[in-house]
Amino acid sequence: MDEKDLVRRSKEGNEEAFGVLVRKYKTKVYHLAYSLTHDAQAADDLAQEVFIKAYFALDKFREKSEFGTWIYRIAVNHCRDFLRKRNRLIQIPFENIIGKISAQGDETLPEEKEQEEAQRRKVVHTAIQTLPDKYKVILSLRDIQDFSYNEIAKILDISPGTVDSRLHRARKMLRKKLEPFFSHKGGGHEM
Amino acid sequence: MKCKQSEKYLLRSLDNRLNPSETIQLKEHLDDCPHCRKRQSEYQSIRRTLREDPFPEMRPYFWERLQPKLKEKRKVDPWTVRKQFGLRAIPLSILVVVLFTAAVFLFVPSPKEELDLSQTGVFLFQDSNPLEETQTFLSEEGDVNKHIMLIFSSLDETNNVRRYFP
Repeated sequence: MDEKDLVRRSKEGNEEAFGVLVRKYKTKVYHLAYSLTHDAQAADDLAQEVFIKAYFALDKFREKSEFGTWIYRIAVNHCRDFLRKRNRLIQIPFENIIGKISAQGDETLPEEKEQEEAQRRKVVHTAIQTLPDKYKVILSLRDIQDFSYNEIAKILDISPGTVDSRLHRARKMLRKKLEPFFSHKGGGHEM
Repeated sequence: MKCKQSEKYLLRSLDNRLNPSETIQLKEHLDDCPHCRKRQSEYQSIRRTLREDPFPEMRPYFWERLQPKLKEKRKVDPWTVRKQFGLRAIPLSILVVVLFTAAVFLFVPSPKEELDLSQTGVFLFQDSNPLEETQTFLSEEGDVNKHIMLIFSSLDETNNVRRYFP
């Protein structure tokens, strides 16, 4: 059964057909939510909510785009809402975190590669969390999820040119945020 | 090429979006500019970190956990009726409203109608003799009592206080 049939059956209320679609897209939706929240529990909850939302909005899906594009769009919007609410509650200045991590690095064993990599990942992801949502989303879609420019354009409903310029700004902004870490580590080569 | 342009090319090169001539220009600039080489290294490092970051395992039974939530939501979601019956729900709803309105007009008596009925009308409606009460006055033996009862009964039928009973 192809995807269009599954969508049609799901629209008619066939839960099993919807189950097949869920199984197909759950991992990507979960990864998208995780890359935006960096919280496994929140990502799992968000992924479940995304599919509930999609199930009850199926009659609004006009099938002009692929089901995958549509579900990712719902996921992005839902995660954005979540981040907006969370950001209102938690505001951590990134410089404080960088300072803490750098200090930890001095005390522990920065020679150990694994530890250093974990530290690097933590710093980069913390820096991403401090970016404005639209930059966070585009970095997640392109640099983490590896969606193509055209796919991103469809998911976010923007032109490929806007994808290009927004991605450019997001990467520059992220590098700028990480500058203290680079200088602490003595340059990008060591990161 | 200036460093600003070089950074633009650097970022586009991460996605292999440079044409051959732009690639050569960037390479030439990087050969001469340690600052941009450092930038290139930083961008590549960030990109690698993001790409190589492992995702934690999903909790198992995703669909099995989702199913009861869908069922529960369907119970409380008023749109489910619309979803199940589609456009057929619209004429059905209109029919229900029309039938209800008709029932209200047909079976609930209008209070205004009751007010318009005279006392005689009420007696006739209840299938009783309107002259029954008057008959007791007329059969009264004393003339004075008979006249006074007739006068009081004609004053206000609804006001029992003013009615004269010997």
